[in-house]
Amino acid sequence: MQLLLEQVVNGCAIGSLYGLFAIGFGLVFATLGILNAAHGTYASFAAIAGYYAATSAGLPFIASTSVGVAAGAALAVMVDQVAFQPLRHRKAGMIGALITSIAFWMILDRLAGLATGEQSLSFPAGTYPGGTWMVGSLPLPQMQVVAIVSLIVVAAGVHWLIAHSRLGAAMRAVGWNEAAAQIAGVNPRLVILATAALAGATSALAGVLAGISTNNVSASLGEGMLLKGFAAVVVGGYEDVRGAAIAGLGLGIAEVLSAQYISTSMRDAITYALLLGFLVLRPRGLFGRVSFVRA
Amino acid sequence: MARRLVWLMASAMALGTTAQAAVPPGEYLVGFITDSTGPLAAAGVSYTRGAELAAAEVTASNAIATGAKLSLEIKEAGGDAARSIQNMNQFIANRRILATTCCILSGIVNSLKPVVAGKIPLVVYGATAPGLPAPPWVYSVTALPGPSDTATAALVANAMKPKTVAYFVSADNDAFKARMAAAEKAVTETGAKTVATISVLGTDTDFTAPATQAMGANPDAIMIYTTQTPCAGIIAALRARGYKGMIVGNDVLAPAAIWKKIGAPLVGVPFPLSFSPEVNQTAEATAFSAAYEKAYGGPPDLYSAQGYAAIWLIAQAMHGMDGTPTREGLAEALSKQTAVTHNVYGGQAITGGQAAATGLTVVNWTAEGKLVKWSPPK
Repeated sequence: MQLLLEQVVNGCAIGSLYGLFAIGFGLVFATLGILNAAHGTYASFAAIAGYYAATSAGLPFIASTSVGVAAGAALAVMVDQVAFQPLRHRKAGMIGALITSIAFWMILDRLAGLATGEQSLSFPAGTYPGGTWMVGSLPLPQMQVVAIVSLIVVAAGVHWLIAHSRLGAAMRAVGWNEAAAQIAGVNPRLVILATAALAGATSALAGVLAGISTNNVSASLGEGMLLKGFAAVVVGGYEDVRGAAIAGLGLGIAEVLSAQYISTSMRDAITYALLLGFLVLRPRGLFGRVSFVRA
Repeated sequence: MARRLVWLMASAMALGTTAQAAVPPGEYLVGFITDSTGPLAAAGVSYTRGAELAAAEVTASNAIATGAKLSLEIKEAGGDAARSIQNMNQFIANRRILATTCCILSGIVNSLKPVVAGKIPLVVYGATAPGLPAPPWVYSVTALPGPSDTATAALVANAMKPKTVAYFVSADNDAFKARMAAAEKAVTETGAKTVATISVLGTDTDFTAPATQAMGANPDAIMIYTTQTPCAGIIAALRARGYKGMIVGNDVLAPAAIWKKIGAPLVGVPFPLSFSPEVNQTAEATAFSAAYEKAYGGPPDLYSAQGYAAIWLIAQAMHGMDGTPTREGLAEALSKQTAVTHNVYGGQAITGGQAAATGLTVVNWTAEGKLVKWSPPK
């Protein structure tokens, strides 16, 4: 029982990172209509920026994390304006945007490699909460708690923003029909910039926390989150951040428990088989309301 | 500097005593496939730097022949088999390239073996699976780590007498699986019982759950046979979760970059070592370390030593050739080499195209970040 509880906590912690990443990934897809393959590099660059803020500038945990989040948001806006805005202008469609995002993924991945000297770096001890709390006999590493709390706060905050604020209404309107939103007085360019920044920031937070938790600040960090984040968005439903958050958590728990109790080497196969089974039962995802386009 | 030149000249003179014939002056190219980007980049950069340093030394010391310059034609593969094969085909098409060297992953070497057979010599600098060499075309300068792993595991098991042992293994790496199986057999023969075998993948980065899984089996000792990132990450996760038992690692823990990255959790973890500037103190090793430090601003590691050995082996074989060298002639010359004569290990014999380790050195990191010979804790 003790082992099960520990592994569920481990699964929640890693699933929180998937969920955080998925919220940003899903926002871009739902609002901007872009399946952005470069999204993982925002997480990588955020972790790298946070690392250098902690090690070179000596900033404390919250400040270095904020630097990473700001860097991820800025990068997301830059990529959107350089890569996707011209395509939007020409109405190039989703495939054109996907291919462009793959090109940016490759370019940014190499730049991230140069920024780390092709090494896997890690935040030094003392630059983040590295201790462990004990709840009875259950160990709770502080970074795991930070990850889980971050997911709860971010998912609740972004959900409120989209469901109850004027900006959120504008984002939903642009996601549904950009031209109609413009007629109704929404500035689509501004909404797109805000969406890109918010999406970049949430995935960047996942990147910084993952970089710290896994001792792996490298170009490959975001790549590992991309597939898991995509799976969480598909299972959670594109239109609701609560779905992405819950699906991310479920993905993390399924991954850890299947490794513990079934097979470590078949872990990913089992996890994705479970996801596939879920989608057969509920193809719109947890909170999806309308069917997505089928091949 | 003067000491280094003396050693290089001495090496060249030693080579010179073995043959009077020589290749004509000019530039000779070696095709070097590097994995300096991608998941293996940290090691890939080291291999490449060691090879570059060796090529510069070979030229400076006239080790092949007076006026013979050895240059590297470097192509990036990023640890990808398809790109490695594409690069190799380009090397084969370029008739100016006499020999090639490559590969960290054994699977890629196996893919390249039929490509190079009968066409161009290949010296493997990194991959460690048994059976890779295929003379006269394929050679390996990297001693097989399996025997060292097994001997280390047995040494630690005999000294520490663990009753229960858990193992971590890279499930997607056949070489590590074989290394773990051999080590487990040796440890079991000391009376220790295997209580868990936990598989991880080379691309994994989060090891909290696997560490929890291992600790759930309550082992007296944990032995790790994985690639670098998992090995370091598993140790960090085990210590972070409070594991106090003995942990045994492998040679991937040797580079200084790993100490810089992981730090204190590595203290006291024994692992076998083929090369480290702090432990290998022969004249060649000292000169190599000083030259590397000067060229790249940091110490060499076991990977740079292997890249270095690959180029010196090719130069050594070329030194014995007469007239304009050909790929076929070089392949034949390589097949006659019984040792890498200029090496940093204090001896490096070659049998059947495969280099072998000399002796066993088991080390651990100290709290001060130094590598020292391991002895059982009191």
